[in-house]
Amino acid sequence: MSASRDDFGIVIRSALLQRGARQKFSLFFLICLSGLIFFLDSFPSKIMDRTRSILNDGIYTTSSIATSPIRGFSYLKEKIELHIFTYSENKILKEQLKEFKKKDFKSEYLLTENQNLKKAIESSQVALENNTQDNILAKVLLDKESPFLKSIIVSKGSRVGIKKGMPVINEGYLTGKIIEVNYLSSRVLLLNDLNSKIPIIVEKLGTHAILSGFGEKRPRLEYLPEGFELSEDIIVFTSGKDGIFPPGIPVGKTIFEDGEVEVKLFADPDQLSFVNVLLTDSIMEAKF
Amino acid sequence: MAIIFKNFRSKLGNTGPIILLYFLSITEIDTQFSNYFEILSFNLQFIIIYYWILRDPSVLGNGHVFFAGIINDVIMGLPMGTSPLTYLITSFIAIYIRSVTVKMTLFTDWFTFIIAIFFANLLYFILMLNFSSLSITYLDLFYNSLFTFLFYPLFWVIFNSYRMLLGVRIHD
Repeated sequence: MSASRDDFGIVIRSALLQRGARQKFSLFFLICLSGLIFFLDSFPSKIMDRTRSILNDGIYTTSSIATSPIRGFSYLKEKIELHIFTYSENKILKEQLKEFKKKDFKSEYLLTENQNLKKAIESSQVALENNTQDNILAKVLLDKESPFLKSIIVSKGSRVGIKKGMPVINEGYLTGKIIEVNYLSSRVLLLNDLNSKIPIIVEKLGTHAILSGFGEKRPRLEYLPEGFELSEDIIVFTSGKDGIFPPGIPVGKTIFEDGEVEVKLFADPDQLSFVNVLLTDSIMEAKF
Repeated sequence: MAIIFKNFRSKLGNTGPIILLYFLSITEIDTQFSNYFEILSFNLQFIIIYYWILRDPSVLGNGHVFFAGIINDVIMGLPMGTSPLTYLITSFIAIYIRSVTVKMTLFTDWFTFIIAIFFANLLYFILMLNFSSLSITYLDLFYNSLFTFLFYPLFWVIFNSYRMLLGVRIHD
């Protein structure tokens, strides 16, 4: 019994401390080093923040360069597919056009939808019209999907005045918020991430709720008033109650799925190439 | 000439797993297929580390495992040190299994891999729960572990064929 325990100890010790043919560091040393890095990173300090910021910028740039051939390949594939299927697509579209011409449009429905869309445009303009200088266009450097985190890396950082918590929009629609800022790059937490909670307001009714991500494609509405009944296709906007997000940025339309009120986002989180970061500090300063 | 070519091929073969490990960590390429099947995602890095440390530790150094983990943390936005710790735990279990196993087959590799995934993800879970403000879905973590386990034999066959093809040397 004691011999087997000794053997176990020897094997463990050997696994942790032994260095083999190409092992320049012992496993024990590297585990301790990882633990130390994790410990230092868990507690905010200026030195660690700066180190991490430099490391992040370096790795994001390298990653962006390393990924460019893959992106180029995807682009080429799309182009080839487009050329191959143009003829058949044209045929289908012609048939669809014929069908559409035959159909009568429901004028009332269109009128309502038109009003809703006008409202959405007006609201997004209110948030942006006086502040055209106060949003920064940034390129999406990386959108590596993780089973646990939904975020993207954008090409602008603290150098141009981006700060943590700033809202990010795509074509006027809310996409997410900044959660990490480096000198040359930033990380955007997307609305469908599990950690994302945004205060919103429901169109017309003026009801407040929280838009919560669940790691799935569509976030859900939470904390709606008790017994509150909501119909589909209602547009939700940011309420601005958090004091960070400007009110009135369109987010998406409500839909029902499995008894839950979900929001179909206007800005598809999987199709982002460029985004705008709203410099809310200057927007808020201009307001007050 | 033939010897030079053989040596070159062997060296090239030896660097393959390291390149793949770094490539997976640094690029947008991911093993998340939720667009096709909602719960399908697996951790290829775990498979690479476990297989190569178990089969041929001379190919994959622990230093590379550590650096790949650091890169992965930066790209994924995880607290720095999380991935290196989980990768090194996988590596440690692989070294341990290698030391106590006489004859290694696909099935011994596969079933001992459960221990590696279990401890690596348990550590990840504990670190996230106690030292990070990030929330994780436990079910996603479970599915990720499950598919990582299920895909192991497939990659075992691929990596074995790769070794045969390039004549990667085995240092026992």
